[in-house]
Amino acid sequence: MKQYYDFKIEKIKDLSSDEIDLRKKNLDLFYRYGFPNKKDEDWKFSDLNSILSKNFKNIVNNVFIPKEKNLKLIDEFEHNFISLLNGRLISSDFSHEEKGKISVGNFNFKKEKNLDKKNSLNFLNHALASGGFSLEIYENYKLKRPLVIYNNFSNSLKETIVNYKNSIILNENSELNLINYIDNSSKENFMVNTIENIKMKKDSFLNNILINNSKCNGYFYKYIKSDLEKNSQLENYLISSGLKFNKLDIEINLNEEYSKSSVFSALNLVNDEHQEIKTRINHHAPNCNSFQKIKNVLNNESKGVYQGKIFVKNIAQKTDAYQLSRALILDDAAEFDAKPELEIYADDVKCSHGSTSGSIDLDSIYYLKSRGIPEKDAFKMLINGFLGEILEKLTEEKLKNFLVKKLERQINEH
Amino acid sequence: MLNIKNLEATIDNKHILKGLNLNIKPGEVHAIMGPNGSGKSTLANVLSGKNGYETKGDIKYNGESLSKLSTEERAQKGIFLAFQYPLEIPGVNTNIFLRTSLNSVRKANGEKELDTLTFLKLIKEKAAELGIDEKFLSRQLNVGFSGGEKKKNEILQMKLLQPKLSILDETDSGLDIDALRIVADGVNSYKNKDNAFLIITHYQRLLDYIKPDFIHVLSNGKIIKTGNAELGVQLEKTGYSNLV
Repeated sequence: MKQYYDFKIEKIKDLSSDEIDLRKKNLDLFYRYGFPNKKDEDWKFSDLNSILSKNFKNIVNNVFIPKEKNLKLIDEFEHNFISLLNGRLISSDFSHEEKGKISVGNFNFKKEKNLDKKNSLNFLNHALASGGFSLEIYENYKLKRPLVIYNNFSNSLKETIVNYKNSIILNENSELNLINYIDNSSKENFMVNTIENIKMKKDSFLNNILINNSKCNGYFYKYIKSDLEKNSQLENYLISSGLKFNKLDIEINLNEEYSKSSVFSALNLVNDEHQEIKTRINHHAPNCNSFQKIKNVLNNESKGVYQGKIFVKNIAQKTDAYQLSRALILDDAAEFDAKPELEIYADDVKCSHGSTSGSIDLDSIYYLKSRGIPEKDAFKMLINGFLGEILEKLTEEKLKNFLVKKLERQINEH
Repeated sequence: MLNIKNLEATIDNKHILKGLNLNIKPGEVHAIMGPNGSGKSTLANVLSGKNGYETKGDIKYNGESLSKLSTEERAQKGIFLAFQYPLEIPGVNTNIFLRTSLNSVRKANGEKELDTLTFLKLIKEKAAELGIDEKFLSRQLNVGFSGGEKKKNEILQMKLLQPKLSILDETDSGLDIDALRIVADGVNSYKNKDNAFLIITHYQRLLDYIKPDFIHVLSNGKIIKTGNAELGVQLEKTGYSNLV
């Protein structure tokens, strides 16, 4: 098959010769494998190579265009922000916070150690990444307001891939509500390949929320690796409907005792949108807790995938791990694939998983209609209820209301 | 208000209603009693427009034929069915459901929709009348409610939507005496000369609290006997077997 991509390391400025060598090696590795395809077990439900070759004539890596777009801020709740344009850090604002408690800057490629290389997209990222940010919250500091990362992409990104890396460190007993906000309505097809590394020290707390605000022709892949120390807690919320293709590859390492993590996902997919959530939860220490609740609503000819693995190491006794996937399939042409996996080497654990998919309950629709609610609204109400349930645990009221409204809008727009 | 002529209903090839006639005028309370499987719930479902029934005959509601109206249109025009088994709907907040319901009905009738604050004030009043704890209203619709709480919630919806014709499908089943009294008080306080009730029940005991003007005995898809409140008392003693 004809190769439909052409990547050049020379486009990236200010690299040392060592860096160039390393990047070339990674690029060679990428070229050896190409984009992931269904022969790879991790990609068997999302044949990215085939999807891209159908939708792109050519893909090149981006050159940074230092032109700031007018940043449209969320006005529903007060927040700090970091603004990225095509992956580049443009500006940041922490005026709600105390001085000297937070550091933020460009991602430091020189400090980068060996990030896991899981697939060819990771190779490609290592070869071509430029931009991204590093964020560190200092000990004992709990941010007063949420932090929004605005992920903007210029509309000129035609047939272009953007690669970047982020690093987030939460030091001991720090706390952060983080919202990764993608806002783009480009009709041009473009691709984004991100690696994010999250380090959570003892007693830290992070709400990590991923939300997509508008429909666009973007193809996204994000690999998020989180490492949790003792008694830290990570809660992920994924509300990223509206992208042409999206795969969120989430690895959570519960490395020390009493750490906790959860992944809540609510996706309402329409048209030919294709979205995959993949989680790998590694219980490396005793007395840790993990929970995943993945909800999908599939309309038209959309496709949803959930691959979830829970790994429990032999020393990880008293593990409590639970995984649940539920899908509502509303059209015959829509598809949902689930692959749950448990791999357990400890003997005193509580682990379970469940997966259901079905259609909407018509008796419930009848009940709502019998109260004067028009059929279309009744469907939306049930879908809203089905998906919105994942936000129940959020305690930050304004943020929760914002997310509830966004989710409603994603459902109502259809 | 309601004129049913020769109504037949079939579902899954089962012929359930076999020529039922019933006339209800404003201000009247009608009770339908009858053995299991006689078609009581089918009548309620057909009146509210549930899918799946093949019907023959004629149902006129305030002079308009019901057959072409969808379930929601019937509700908007003032037909209310209190369910025998109210559904649990996870993720849907009771308050939001109630407000959407009320506003859908108001909108269809050309009335202004209520804003959140006005609505909350209204619903709190109505809930207090029925002894429903406000906390229920912020819970998911009927999820984890006891049988009695679900039935009270149905009556709350009735009082909120202010229907012209209320059909109570075995609302007394699963209620203890206190809950039964509250439900009955709810109905009695709403009853007036302009609205009507069709109460479907197995037992006389609800009719001790809500006095019917007419009692009909439904058997094998037809009304086989009609009488006044005395008929209920008599049935309680003798059972249906003498009639059937």
